[in-house]
Amino acid sequence: MNTTELGDIRPCLEGAIPAVMATCAADGMPNVAYISQVYYVDEQHVALSFQFFNKTRQNILANPRATVLVIHPQTAAFYRLHIRYLRTETEGPLFEGMKAQLAGIASHTGMQGVFRLLGSDVYEVELIEALEGEPLPGPPPRSGMLTAVRRCSERLARCASLDEALNSVLATLSDFMGVRHAMVLMLDSAAQRLYTVASCGYATSGVGSEVGMGQGVIGVAAREKTPVRITHMTTAYLYSQAMRSSFEANVPDIEVVTEIPYPGLAEPHSQLAVPVLSAGRLLGVLFVESPNDLEFGFEDEDMLVAMAGHLGAAIDLMHASTEAPETDSHARPAIRPEPVEVPRRQSQTERAIHLRHFSANDSVFLDDAYLIKGVAGAILWKLLKDFVRHGRTEFSNRELRLDTSIRLPDVTDNLEARLVLLRRRLAEHGPHLRIEKTGRGRFRLVVLRPVVLDETP
Amino acid sequence: MSASGLPPDLLAMMERGVSVIAGSRDADMRPSIMRALGSHVEDAGRKVTIFVSRRQSRQLVQDIAATGYVAVVFSEPSSHRTVQVKARRAVLRNAEAADEPVLARYLASMEHEIQQVGFAPHMTRAMLAHKIEDLVAISFEPEVAFDQTPGPKAGTRLFGSSA
Repeated sequence: MNTTELGDIRPCLEGAIPAVMATCAADGMPNVAYISQVYYVDEQHVALSFQFFNKTRQNILANPRATVLVIHPQTAAFYRLHIRYLRTETEGPLFEGMKAQLAGIASHTGMQGVFRLLGSDVYEVELIEALEGEPLPGPPPRSGMLTAVRRCSERLARCASLDEALNSVLATLSDFMGVRHAMVLMLDSAAQRLYTVASCGYATSGVGSEVGMGQGVIGVAAREKTPVRITHMTTAYLYSQAMRSSFEANVPDIEVVTEIPYPGLAEPHSQLAVPVLSAGRLLGVLFVESPNDLEFGFEDEDMLVAMAGHLGAAIDLMHASTEAPETDSHARPAIRPEPVEVPRRQSQTERAIHLRHFSANDSVFLDDAYLIKGVAGAILWKLLKDFVRHGRTEFSNRELRLDTSIRLPDVTDNLEARLVLLRRRLAEHGPHLRIEKTGRGRFRLVVLRPVVLDETP
Repeated sequence: MSASGLPPDLLAMMERGVSVIAGSRDADMRPSIMRALGSHVEDAGRKVTIFVSRRQSRQLVQDIAATGYVAVVFSEPSSHRTVQVKARRAVLRNAEAADEPVLARYLASMEHEIQQVGFAPHMTRAMLAHKIEDLVAISFEPEVAFDQTPGPKAGTRLFGSSA
């Protein structure tokens, strides 16, 4: 008998062709049933979707032995898994990962509303048989995946800023994986929401748009800290156009205008979201999508998880280095600031920029257009006030961290990510008000026009 | 209802040739399973014969020979309409040249069925590939039948009282 590992047959577990399962009742009568999902848990375990209280369910609770037949969707080779029921999970990462995949399978097979995941039945895989037959030749192995991970790792290792790291990840996805639509979202730990800091392939960048924990594949991946992959269009995980942020409920007047539209595809057919973690903590989510079915397989998932791991480590290292107390206050910044050449020609002919701050939610409007809110809004307002009052243009992350008016949630909150968000939002609003990085943990406010500040409580 | 107790539409589906999966179990209640490579439904559903490859189904064939117990699912891939029949007195014989027209008809039906869900005929031919001398014919009279189409009616007993 051939020895086959579970990892060898992962293409059979993608749900393209349903698996079948035999169980045996206490009275000795066998039962055969189709199962919509055989989910890879690890090399020794699979999970099957528990969707109905049926004969299979009765049987495995009475007699935990089961045999599953799967087929390779390209070669038609058969494999038989001898498995033993261990337990049922009804929440958590495995359950949520399966639920999202099942929604895609249900949609693909016209079973929306019929397939509902009641639980994830976890089985130990005791033996896998590769059956004799006349299979078709397999597809050529995908090449270049490891190279792509290498390129991503190399690029990230060279990055000195979060901006560069985010761009590196998006460039690797586009250059080596053919990904056309991607986003990186960071966690706002206080609000328990995710905000977009980088994206590619969308009509608008959507930088600053928000997704709630548990909302769609991105929110579920974040909440459960697990990859979530959908290979077929499903309405169950679509983002509605009317996403409302709950923490703004106390300022209804500006709630609608401070909504930056979610940039994602209107009709995605494949989606994959993986959590960006470091030391077990959620930092954000790396997300890719496609207008085509079956775009992301388990190899893409493996690849994205590896990239997200590198990104998480890079973000955490940068976070630590920009937040470190400066032992030598005269230490030169990594990049020597250019001689300050802030054209403060307050000429009468130049139109002033009007900025209005609403302290209720720290939202800032630039010439009546919504710019930013929350922590990034508070940061911008502090910078502008210091500029107007004292003419200051050079700032450090560390002083922002210590400034109580900014109300940073806590030291784990990624200040650098807030600055990336602020920098990119400003860049989208024109060249007259900018933030430029001048060194590690240091940056400069560039103001090219007179500014008028207006505070609204 | 047909003479066998199967609803006419499900009987017609079984007669036409759709996906067929067979299961049994050994003396230790360990289940066995394999896809059939052909089926033949006669006498309004009172006689069912399915064909499996011996080299792919050693345990299943051995279990049916030892216990007589068999459970067989017929399912139409495009609609998910599914029926399961069970028996406790299945009998085995080697397939022979006379079975080849039945097998050829089944293959043709399956090529059509599987094409409906997006797989080219060469996939179906690979899945059902066999040599006649390797095939075992399993025959039985269904004692009990269940509608197993996914949905609220799944598991409904169509006829029979055992199992």
